[in-house]
Amino acid sequence: MLQLVGVGVQAAVVIRLVTIAATLVLARWVRTCRYVALGGSILASAVTVSAAIQVLVAGRSLDGVLFRHATSGIVLSYSVTPLSAWFLMVFGLIAVPVAVYSVGYFAHSIAPSRMAAVGSGFNVMLGSVELVFVAGDVITFLLAWELMTLATAALVATEHEERASRRAGYLYLVMSHVGTGCLVAGFLTLAAASGSLSLSALLAGHLVSGVTRDGVFVLFFVGFGVKAGVIPFHVWLPEAHPAAPSSISALMSAVLITAGIYGLFRVCAFGLGIPAVSWGLTFMGLGTLSAILGVLYALTQSDLKRLLAYSTIENAGIIVLGLGAAMLALAYGRTELATLAAAASLAHVLNHAVFKGLLFLGAGSVVMGTGTRQLEQYGGLLRRMPWTGLFFLVGAMAIAGLPLLNGFVSEWLTFQALLLGFSSTPGFIRLNYPLSAAMLALTSALAAACFVKVFGISFLALPRSTAAADAHEAPPVMLAPQALLAALCIGLGLFPGVMLRALSGVLASLPGLQPADRLGWGSAGMMSPVGSFDHVVPAIFGVALMGAVVAAGVLAARTGLAIRRVPTWGCGGELSARTEYTATAFSKPLMMIFRAVYRPTRQVEALAEVSPYFPHEVRYRSEIEPTFERYVYGPLLRGVLRVANGMKVLQAGSLHTYLAYVLALVVLLLLWLGGTA
Amino acid sequence: MIPMIPDALRAFSFAMLQAAGLLALAPLLKTAIKKMKARLQNRQGPPLLQGYYDLAKLLRKEPVRSETASWVFVAGPRVYFGAAVAATTLVPVLVAAAPLEAAGGILLLVGTLALGRFALATAALDTGSAFGGMGASRDMTIAALAEPALLLGLFTSALAAGSLNVGGLVRSVLQHGVTFHPSDLLAFAGLFIIVIAETGRIPVDNPATHLELTMIHEAMVLEYAGPDLALVEWASAVKELLYLTLLVDLFMPAGIATSAAPVAIAVALAAWAVKVFLLAIAVTLTESTNAKLRLFRVPELVSISLGLAFLALAIRFL
Repeated sequence: MLQLVGVGVQAAVVIRLVTIAATLVLARWVRTCRYVALGGSILASAVTVSAAIQVLVAGRSLDGVLFRHATSGIVLSYSVTPLSAWFLMVFGLIAVPVAVYSVGYFAHSIAPSRMAAVGSGFNVMLGSVELVFVAGDVITFLLAWELMTLATAALVATEHEERASRRAGYLYLVMSHVGTGCLVAGFLTLAAASGSLSLSALLAGHLVSGVTRDGVFVLFFVGFGVKAGVIPFHVWLPEAHPAAPSSISALMSAVLITAGIYGLFRVCAFGLGIPAVSWGLTFMGLGTLSAILGVLYALTQSDLKRLLAYSTIENAGIIVLGLGAAMLALAYGRTELATLAAAASLAHVLNHAVFKGLLFLGAGSVVMGTGTRQLEQYGGLLRRMPWTGLFFLVGAMAIAGLPLLNGFVSEWLTFQALLLGFSSTPGFIRLNYPLSAAMLALTSALAAACFVKVFGISFLALPRSTAAADAHEAPPVMLAPQALLAALCIGLGLFPGVMLRALSGVLASLPGLQPADRLGWGSAGMMSPVGSFDHVVPAIFGVALMGAVVAAGVLAARTGLAIRRVPTWGCGGELSARTEYTATAFSKPLMMIFRAVYRPTRQVEALAEVSPYFPHEVRYRSEIEPTFERYVYGPLLRGVLRVANGMKVLQAGSLHTYLAYVLALVVLLLLWLGGTA
Repeated sequence: MIPMIPDALRAFSFAMLQAAGLLALAPLLKTAIKKMKARLQNRQGPPLLQGYYDLAKLLRKEPVRSETASWVFVAGPRVYFGAAVAATTLVPVLVAAAPLEAAGGILLLVGTLALGRFALATAALDTGSAFGGMGASRDMTIAALAEPALLLGLFTSALAAGSLNVGGLVRSVLQHGVTFHPSDLLAFAGLFIIVIAETGRIPVDNPATHLELTMIHEAMVLEYAGPDLALVEWASAVKELLYLTLLVDLFMPAGIATSAAPVAIAVALAAWAVKVFLLAIAVTLTESTNAKLRLFRVPELVSISLGLAFLALAIRFL
């Protein structure tokens, strides 16, 4: 049965390659080109997912050779472990709906002349992410990793006439390559110690020790952290996500980020031996920081896609927090706790992919329907776009961690891990857990405030611009994927046991963990693995809640009187879009309260002719300080530029000098080699 | 592991009975606090049944809704009401077991109340009135600040008792004997502040205000009328009773029935009523002796509560 998995992996790669070739050949027939590119993508992703599910069911990994070139000796191999199967499944659950959505979205939002490029880029990106998850050796992994980076950078810069898009693409490219450099260095160190290139040999966990091990850990953490969007490596994310076409943003948030998380899991947490206590604390600390800062920055954004990008940083933080708790537990030898925390983290990978994919697709429909990304230009969209609004609301409630939806499930697991961590860790380090728990509670409550704002300002009340008043609903081909993802949000929220059962084999396959059998409680519930600390069965509660809501409806409808519709009271003036509360105003109290984080600056200019009390024009400008860009990356960038400036002397442009360098190098090499001989 | 059908039926009928009981008593609590407050100010105050009269009147009225509002505006109060009522099924009142204990514990309880708040705050943005937005923004702000303190306070009790399920927690406390630990005092003080904040009481919010600019909760529901308003008011009252009951369960569970014997239930009912009444007096005194804080002073109050919760945790476990 598992043999089919190998066939599936190879078939997926072949389908991708054929699709890319066909897309490029059919470039002149835009419609056909689009259908071929996306149809091929759907097929390839579906094949991958079915292979992944087989591995998940079997619970053991499958290795094989993907491509062998006898003459040069190049061998690309694959290895589908249960962990990679979990990430592949998450990948497929998003990649297929996004491809279906793109059938409608690309037709409207991508210029015909670019269809072939975008279509093939779409496939290259997805194919390389698949390859990252299934890579069995370092060469394949790095090849796929680099291909993924380049394809994404190209897609981010799809609208390269705009300076912002070019800049976002460039920033992404630079940061990713710093990350890739760290990965190469890390893998080379491990490879030098082992003499093998296969990932399973490199990540056996006993190759390096002491300071080298810590150094390798830092290299990998930076390398994967950049992709995962963990603060302080996040600065590319809020630039790249809004610049890319919406379906690409959905993929970046839901799929690309998970590639970084996969690396953190595979290498940092479970590939370098038993983690050190300090690693776990670093992960927990940076995870908490990412979560809280991500949501705080998200709150003040007025660009819808930028806001969602910051919220991705928040969720990456929650994932890393769970992983950090697992690492700390491993360091202390607490198997049960480590399993619980890893389950929380992996569950949040899936849940975040589902609701963030949904929200980005919804945002894409809204941007397509109105032509703007600014929240302040929306309003009243629920009337014009009822279905998009409904699905977006489900996503917003899920991301806010409200019960009966999937966001609650992974937050519940994370809280359990933190509480259990507190009661089973010795010494003062245990205070770290309640601190993280309090921060997580603050994060989820702020996320709720943030998404009340997003949904309320965009979809409710009166339209704030003609663009919003004339918005049009997305075609069914774009709504169906959103419906599917919304249904997944509800399904995973009501039956978390199903997800935990699928996770059990994954957890059992990771070194130092045990199967998560004790976490699931039938298919509907979850329970704490220790004693009877806590359990939750959302479906039972769903029945009670539904009953109470229906009772409320009946109670209020008892009069049987007809509903009277009246205009909203406008305080004596006329009610218009200008009297509505704005997104900026909504987040203002929190901005004032957390001004130590935001360090806001405000400029109000009143232009008056007669008297300063009667301005005919008021200009308002408000800005929050980009702390990391200014204080971390600014000095770093200036330092790099200064060094580069100094090195300019070496590259003088004179051929003679260059020849002299060559000569000097040859002499030095001869001396060195002669010396060793 | 899933409870069998007869068990489920019993649990659900128990849940309905308890929810109905709390629904019936909640308006009384609200009026009682109003009355006590009035007496402290040398006023007569409303009759004790005024809460019921108000609800009956509102429920009989013609439903009036804004032209700009969508279905979200209609769904808001219903979900808010549903969430408050459903949340009562997770908390033991008279017997040392919550009706729907099988469904979940403290995290689900807090999540459910957050769900209700999310629904109402979203709905408040639906009419296009600036007051709704203002109220929603402030309500979500205060809730966001209160949530960590609330959860941390609850976690302290839960960790001490070894259960995050309110029913399990109460039983564990009863089993180990009701003892007093200095950390309880800190945790109680911290949670009491949060209860004040979450139920919209002075010094955080003023339930009796008529000045829109200082309103928080009242501004959020300003556009509601008739039966919709009745649902909101009733649910808020239930929420308040629920929070006070939760404090009773966590810090003074003595007297709660451990069996279904009629005598035990009667004793538990009396004990519960007395304890809730004492807490209501505490709420009244807090309301009467404090001035409403500026919105931007509320974070300080909430951070005191967070600090108390941390201290309680540290004293208890270090």
